[in-house]
Amino acid sequence: MSTPTRPDFLTELFSDAVDPAYAAAAERRAVRGPERPLWRRIGLGLRVLTLVAVGFLLTVAYRQVVAAEPESARARAGLVDEVRARQAETDDLQVRADRLREEVARQRDAALAGDEATALRNLEAATGLGKVTGDGVAVRVADAPAAADPVTGAPGANLGLVHDRDLQSIVNALWQSGAEAVAVNGQRLTATSTIRLAGSAILVDYRPVSSPYEITAIGPDNLGQVFGDSPTGKRFKRYIGAYGMGFEVRERGDLTLPAAAEPRLRYATPKQPTGTPSPLTSPSPTPSGGR
Amino acid sequence: MIAVLALVAGIALGIVFEPSVPAALQPYLPIAVVAALDAVFGGIRARLDGIFDDKQFVVSFISNVLVAALIVYLGDQLGVGGQLSTGVVVVLGVRIFGNVAAIRRHLFRA
Repeated sequence: MSTPTRPDFLTELFSDAVDPAYAAAAERRAVRGPERPLWRRIGLGLRVLTLVAVGFLLTVAYRQVVAAEPESARARAGLVDEVRARQAETDDLQVRADRLREEVARQRDAALAGDEATALRNLEAATGLGKVTGDGVAVRVADAPAAADPVTGAPGANLGLVHDRDLQSIVNALWQSGAEAVAVNGQRLTATSTIRLAGSAILVDYRPVSSPYEITAIGPDNLGQVFGDSPTGKRFKRYIGAYGMGFEVRERGDLTLPAAAEPRLRYATPKQPTGTPSPLTSPSPTPSGGR
Repeated sequence: MIAVLALVAGIALGIVFEPSVPAALQPYLPIAVVAALDAVFGGIRARLDGIFDDKQFVVSFISNVLVAALIVYLGDQLGVGGQLSTGVVVVLGVRIFGNVAAIRRHLFRA
């Protein structure tokens, strides 16, 4: 504080905001007396002009903001539409792939001898590449309702959110309890499936799933009981009381789990057919073991 | 009274003419508005203090808008346009708040 008469800039800014120039002008007027009428007239004109300019500026800025707003909203809506369209497209392709795969399986069953076909189907069921049906359990786990601040009503930190780790431990506990096939929200899991967190979304095999999560598993009759008594099952039952998380294990009969997406081949490549390729819809099954 | 009329006339002009702002000037518009509001509220306070002066008002408006635009322009050239805009808005915002508080004291004695 070298100059006690002048406070520093910030103090001055916050304490008294009026332009000192007004006070200075008033002092000058007091010394020199009122201005001449001509000057007052000009001053009035300038003041009016300035205020017109201010009003003009306000309108222009307002119009600009209003014009810019739908621009961003439109871009967002366009993106949302595109995402929806692409999702529908992948769903269609998935349905088509499933149909083609069934067709291939049927053709193969017809081509192979009975024992081999059965062995192959069992393998497919175990690896998640084939559709399976059977009795099992449905585990339903859901985010806790967002706790709102009682005073402000603002959403607080939600401790009861389901994370990827929760789904992973439930799925692993189900495998451990003897489950033979597991699906999360209808997404069948294979040995190489991933359950990951991306931002705030959980991705199962790169497809987003959202709360409430339903994990369906086909397994032995006591699957639900074994899972409920497992450390994971007990832990989630505690979460219901501690965090308000939703958790429920139900026995379900006649579950149908879809096939998982065809695994991408990393090292193997399909063999190029030699000679003329027979059409897929060939009615007569070619004898197997010929090649 | 005449001031309010002038302001309304300006708004009407803006509505009637529907001017389109060149893209190069668009970043300066919000800053110019804040600077203009600072000048207007400063003028109202001076009026209530009984020391209003036309010349001061006009000069403060023009210089406020020009200086604010200049700072933002400089900031854009230096690559810190956003931060400098924030700075201008904070300083002018504090001034507006101070002036409005003084106006409130005048009008409501509170």
